[in-house]
Amino acid sequence: MEKRVDAAFEAEFEDGRFGRLAAIRLKPNQDLVEGVEGAAAEAGIACGVVRAAVGSLVDAALGYGEGEGASVVTVEGPGIEILTLAGELRPDAEGRPRAFLQGTISDSDAKVYGGEFLRGANPICITLELVLQEWIPDSAA
Amino acid sequence: MRTLTQPGTPSLPRRVVRPIAEGRSLRVRLPAGADLLTGLTGALVAQGVTDAGVQLLGGDFASMQYLTGQPDHTGQRVATYGAPTTLEGPVRLIGGNCILGRDAKGAPLLHCHAVVADRAGGIHGGHLPAGVCILGAAGATAMVTVLGTAGFQVAYDAETNYDIFQPVPGPAREAAH
Repeated sequence: MEKRVDAAFEAEFEDGRFGRLAAIRLKPNQDLVEGVEGAAAEAGIACGVVRAAVGSLVDAALGYGEGEGASVVTVEGPGIEILTLAGELRPDAEGRPRAFLQGTISDSDAKVYGGEFLRGANPICITLELVLQEWIPDSAA
Repeated sequence: MRTLTQPGTPSLPRRVVRPIAEGRSLRVRLPAGADLLTGLTGALVAQGVTDAGVQLLGGDFASMQYLTGQPDHTGQRVATYGAPTTLEGPVRLIGGNCILGRDAKGAPLLHCHAVVADRAGGIHGGHLPAGVCILGAAGATAMVTVLGTAGFQVAYDAETNYDIFQPVPGPAREAAH
């Protein structure tokens, strides 16, 4: 996708607008990240943002950083509440939505954690109620 | 990745997706003294909004309660809520997400999870019940994504043995008679 780059700040800009929406429920025992990607693909949304989500996890795995020095925190449930979920979907090389999700959770001792939800390690417990919205870059028009 | 055996048979499909052609966004601010859940629900329904995703942007509470999950040792469900925790204000609303939909009879219902900080800087969060989260001096602000031609309605889910929101098609339905 076409991006504008501010040379002084090395910041990337992408002009665009919001588009279609999807009301989604993910059922138990599927991975949060892969589940969001599958639902987005079904809705025809390859590029988009999480507008709201409420749900719970069996266990949680939260990541921090990449490569050497990266760390992972695992939290054992069940009964982990997803308190906030934020992030976006971006199309991969084949045009399929790839989700980048972070947020906060509480465990059964009411302790709160935050981080990036790692792929394949955050199974839905009871439900995930989700609203996604398409982001349409001007370059895609 | 660990999975749990739910009390009921897994139902297909494993995800429910209701596409919506377009939707509008609203910023809403609630005043001091309002209850977050009933105030937000009432304000949105008065605007004709029955189904929405809500991002809580900030605010504070004079007092509030939250519930967190725990294993359900009765075997009726895999997880349940514990007893509520009460926080006296000032409590800062750090962030949260809500889904506005309708209960099984069509009456408005808001499902809300949030993160808050107490006056000592301690972080808390969980499921916020209606009627007991009273806003403080700053009130609260939220960004609302209005769902026009589909939404969420509570239905009994035999798999989890919970009444939970399901995405449903069609235009917004009338409230319960």
